[in-house]
Amino acid sequence: MNQVKLVTAALDALMVEFENRIDRSINAQVHALKAQLQSAPEVLELVPSYRCLLVYYNPLKYSEQQLKQVILTTLEQPLPSAVEATEIASIEVCYDPSVALDSELISAQTGLNTEQLAALHSGSDYWVYTLGFAPGFAYLGDLPQVLQLPRLATPRAKVPALSVAIANQQTAVYPHSSPGGWLIIGRAVALPQLRAGQRVRFVAVSLADYQARTQGQQ
Amino acid sequence: MTSVARVIKAGFHTSLQDFGRFGQLAMGVTRGGPADERAFLWANRLLDTSYNAAQLEITMSECRLEFSAAVQLCVTGAATEVRLNNLTLPSWQVFSVRPGDQLEIPAQQHRLRSYLAIRGGFLASSCEGSVATVRRDSRGGLQGDGRLIADGDQLQAAVFKQELPARRPHRELLAELLSKPSLPLRLGIIPSGQFQQFSLAARQLMVEQTMQVSSAYDRMGVRVIAQQAIPWQGEQLISEPLAVGSIQIPADGQPIIMLNDRQTLGGYPKIATLSWLARCQIAQAGAGTPINFYWQELAEAQAQWRQVAQFFHLPRSG
Repeated sequence: MNQVKLVTAALDALMVEFENRIDRSINAQVHALKAQLQSAPEVLELVPSYRCLLVYYNPLKYSEQQLKQVILTTLEQPLPSAVEATEIASIEVCYDPSVALDSELISAQTGLNTEQLAALHSGSDYWVYTLGFAPGFAYLGDLPQVLQLPRLATPRAKVPALSVAIANQQTAVYPHSSPGGWLIIGRAVALPQLRAGQRVRFVAVSLADYQARTQGQQ
Repeated sequence: MTSVARVIKAGFHTSLQDFGRFGQLAMGVTRGGPADERAFLWANRLLDTSYNAAQLEITMSECRLEFSAAVQLCVTGAATEVRLNNLTLPSWQVFSVRPGDQLEIPAQQHRLRSYLAIRGGFLASSCEGSVATVRRDSRGGLQGDGRLIADGDQLQAAVFKQELPARRPHRELLAELLSKPSLPLRLGIIPSGQFQQFSLAARQLMVEQTMQVSSAYDRMGVRVIAQQAIPWQGEQLISEPLAVGSIQIPADGQPIIMLNDRQTLGGYPKIATLSWLARCQIAQAGAGTPINFYWQELAEAQAQWRQVAQFFHLPRSG
């Protein structure tokens, strides 16, 4: 039996809370439960985050108690542990300081040069924990220890679209230009539609390649 | 689909809204839709039009249009009356316009949002199943990119041959809908989110003081001023999904009520969620409005919503 807490979130929504940590295996359970509940007739919409799943239902048809029962029954079976998504989304990133707006700051805090930062950031696969903040904004983790840096003290009023950014355990690509306080380590050539529970790999490209690939787009 | 009107003066914040964009929260796309659902749903109902048909949500300023077709309209929400050419007409009532007619929805002092509905709804290409304007998400509106209604915009709608009667809600109900709300506003809230982790004192402070709507409000949320801050002694939260109507308590203890354009994830603890009616009421409350929250049982709030849903033929809630 999976240990969860069920909490009222709204008059038509129930929150399923898993263990209170940012952890890939806990997040995988959230997505596994989402997959299990997707086809339940009692469920209207599901919103996953790091350790929670928000379950919307129609109070015209079902009571909160009935929804709790549906969720608990689903959780009686062990959730499928096959968390490794087969498909890996690959995102090309230019780490050149001309587009990596906080390159200097990150170098100063980590003691690594641009090449080393690029190698480190693109050197491991990431996991899409959740989407939110803005449409298509995916929270990816976990960053290598060395790159786990705090946010800017004062957020930028305008982060350019496709900026690749880091903050604490997380990294993300800004889908559109928006305000933001994460440190900018690079710029993506393009951003595919990411889904929670998916794996992502960054591929370093040179400034010349980046310019060639984005010509006519800007 | 015909162009039926031209916007002469859009006003400071006028947007196209249907009931909202559903099913995309997991992708970070928020709902949008009318902030005052009650006013919106009444207008469509009186026009014998689907609950989801698009209207203009007009915020705090005058809006003027010129019509180029014979259509039927209804204005609800903040406006107590409208001006058609030189004639004053009551709001919350179906009326007809002819080509060349000018309609003015006046600015309001006591409430924030008026709704202009047209029989059959205003038409625009939908974006993920909805035309609801969400500026922050660049979605919805006439162009599909989240833009507000602007001076000179052409509005499209279907034109009907047979006219509807000039319907309005029955007298007592209408009096209630039009009456100035008695203050402080009484807003029902149900315990939700981290309610159990808030101290007893915090829960009492939510209902035992009169708070005030601050001047920081928009379609995302309404900040409320509490003389006695609501304390949170728990740890920082890992961001989690955020429902419309939730009341977040940030570190300064000043509540934030989330409205239709709320971000899909939030990191502040939540102590309660507004009832459906309370959400409609707060959507009309301007800066300085005194409010008293009161605790409501979930079952009671759901029963209230079920009546609303049946009356307006709603398939689901916000």
